[in-house]
Amino acid sequence: MNKKIEKQGSVSQNIAHEKQSGKILDITSRFGVYGILIVLIIAGIFINSNFFSLNNFKNVIQAGAFLGILCAGMAFITYSGHFADMSAPITMALSGIVTISCISFGIVPALLIGIGAGVLVGVINGIVIGKFKANPIIWTLAMNFVVSGIIRWVYSNKQIYPDVESGGSIAGEMFTNISRTYLWGIPISVFIMIGLLLIGQFVLSKTRYGKQLKIIGSNIDTAKLTGINVSRNILIAYIIASFAAALAGIFVTSFGKVGAYYNGEGYDFRAVTAIVIGGMTLSGGRGNMIGVLGGVLTIGILSNLMTFIGIGTFEQQIVTGAIFILIVWINSNSLRKLGRDDA
Amino acid sequence: MKKIMFIVIALVMITAVVLTGCNTTTPAVEADAPADDAGDAADDATADDATAEEAEMSNLDKSLALNIDSVVGSDGQPLLLDLEKKDVPERPADPDALPEEDPLHWYDMEYAGWGAMDKENIPASPADGSIGKKVIVIINGDHPYLTAYSNGATIAAEAYGMDIQIMSPNWDLNVQNQQVDQAINAKPDMIILIPLDAKAAVTQFRRINDAGVPCIASNMLPEAEAMKYVIGWAGPDDWGQFRMLADVLAEEIGGKGGVAYVQHAPGGSPYFARCWGPLSQFAANYPDIVTLDKQAPGFEADKTKQLVSDWITKFGDELTAIVAADDSAQAIGIIEALKEAGREDVKVIAAGNSKIGMDYIASGELLAISYQSAEADGATPIKMAADWFNGLDVDPVYYLPKHVITQADVADFLPAQW
Repeated sequence: MNKKIEKQGSVSQNIAHEKQSGKILDITSRFGVYGILIVLIIAGIFINSNFFSLNNFKNVIQAGAFLGILCAGMAFITYSGHFADMSAPITMALSGIVTISCISFGIVPALLIGIGAGVLVGVINGIVIGKFKANPIIWTLAMNFVVSGIIRWVYSNKQIYPDVESGGSIAGEMFTNISRTYLWGIPISVFIMIGLLLIGQFVLSKTRYGKQLKIIGSNIDTAKLTGINVSRNILIAYIIASFAAALAGIFVTSFGKVGAYYNGEGYDFRAVTAIVIGGMTLSGGRGNMIGVLGGVLTIGILSNLMTFIGIGTFEQQIVTGAIFILIVWINSNSLRKLGRDDA
Repeated sequence: MKKIMFIVIALVMITAVVLTGCNTTTPAVEADAPADDAGDAADDATADDATAEEAEMSNLDKSLALNIDSVVGSDGQPLLLDLEKKDVPERPADPDALPEEDPLHWYDMEYAGWGAMDKENIPASPADGSIGKKVIVIINGDHPYLTAYSNGATIAAEAYGMDIQIMSPNWDLNVQNQQVDQAINAKPDMIILIPLDAKAAVTQFRRINDAGVPCIASNMLPEAEAMKYVIGWAGPDDWGQFRMLADVLAEEIGGKGGVAYVQHAPGGSPYFARCWGPLSQFAANYPDIVTLDKQAPGFEADKTKQLVSDWITKFGDELTAIVAADDSAQAIGIIEALKEAGREDVKVIAAGNSKIGMDYIASGELLAISYQSAEADGATPIKMAADWFNGLDVDPVYYLPKHVITQADVADFLPAQW
């Protein structure tokens, strides 16, 4: 009898311990990135006296704004358990180049068509991955390749300029000014990034769609058994991601003053890194947008700090890549130990 | 039903892209205009054939009679420029032993092909004329500069009456290696190759040479060893251009100050030439100019902007000037960061001459850029090939003419080629 009570006590202790570990893990995965950020900032203060200044932090936030906009959408895909959207770079390029092509119709129609073209990529991705169960990485990589080819073919491998395409009208200037518009000395891209992340956080945590997406990300088979329309929800996630990518593409193109197939290159890996560092697991169902913002800021501060130290570009790439690998390993390992993940 | 829906959406998307892309055909047509001129020149040659007298001319005579001097690029500049040679100093016993700030440390890179290296297995010129010859040009990737390069090569080939085929590996060395084999199997009269990688170029040119196909290297400098397998190399004198730009900058900043370098993509010759060219020039002639930092952020305007913003914060007033390897995306990032920080006093020079770079020169935001005609860059190896087919002497190295574009003469170089 006593042994039975002891055994029960030990089991309940284990459960309590597991619950506590789970809580710590949840807190770490949700907000741990801000701990890293604080450590980096403290290190920066010791490294260079100019580091801890309003101007420097403003620069970091500004530099991360385009990436943050992209992440606000791509995080939905990661949350749904579909890893990442590898067609994000070409979605960005497509929306930018189509907008410039249509600039003669006026700035608003051009922007709508440009964003529409980007969203169409998301619709195709969503249908093929959601309905036909294509591998999300392979399919989106293929999309990136195909759409890139189409753009090069259509535009004869040339880049186009908003001032030339608009025939010198005000629309061309308005387009290039999109990324150069400031509110209280801060670019509007920063406000849009924060706005999208807040909306994203609300959708993921407070709406029925967000809760369904969490179940899909945690266990897709359970989601199906509970009657959730998985295909539709995945389609919506890809539409949101492509909308954000298209928006980021408009900003990148406006900033670069040129529409070209290569706009957006490299953003895919940086976005995944920011999302993962921000505490969203690649296997889905965990994380939040506050963490994603932390991930974006961490990447910015890290790059900022490495430039201050005088670390070269290649070494910076090694460090960023190594951190990505480390975070994924820590995440997967901790979850596996708790028996909560097979990632 | 699902499949039909998918196909319909895909078609709608492609149609949208095609329709919206229609607006861009105008510049393409404009760019093609000189090709028409070149075509006219070729047509003239064909029309001349009709005359009884010329019908008796050999292909070589007809080829030599072609007048290509009037052919111009899309910027209105002559397509075939007066090419330059440069003085070659004596090679140091061990260039690598010299410090990197010494211009001679880079001897084998800057003067690749000028050395006394013997050529191997170079076929003899057929000396039977350029007309009707088949040339395959393998570029290194897809980029607007290379689109203009290909345009220039095509215009020149048409002017010389040659058939031209252009291949692009899109920055993939394995694909370029396959294209080299494809080109060899096609048995052309000449292969022109822009090497993607200076070291890999040795093997590529050796393969072409072993197959008995004459070849010319273009644009990017290969390692010196590759030069023994090629008839010659033609391209921009990046080292020379950047030494000239460095002199302009040094004069502007009074021969003193801190300079930071935004570098080109690693691997190719511009990565070294556009950083170590000016850096060694400063070290040799302006000892009060110091190097603050060197970074290669790629060709993204926003990443370059972050880098330069970091430099401004880190170096403050020490930052006097920036040398950029690219006058488009990198220049945008630099200018925007300087504007935002109110540091328009920092002088910037860059490799050009894109539309964005020339717009910045015109507005005074960039101090100077190098003149590098992409179309002439593409046309020059074609001229080398034509000269070789015609039995004329061909030098081992041809440099495009050097020139620094400033606000004073930028109007002469508009419209931009890319």
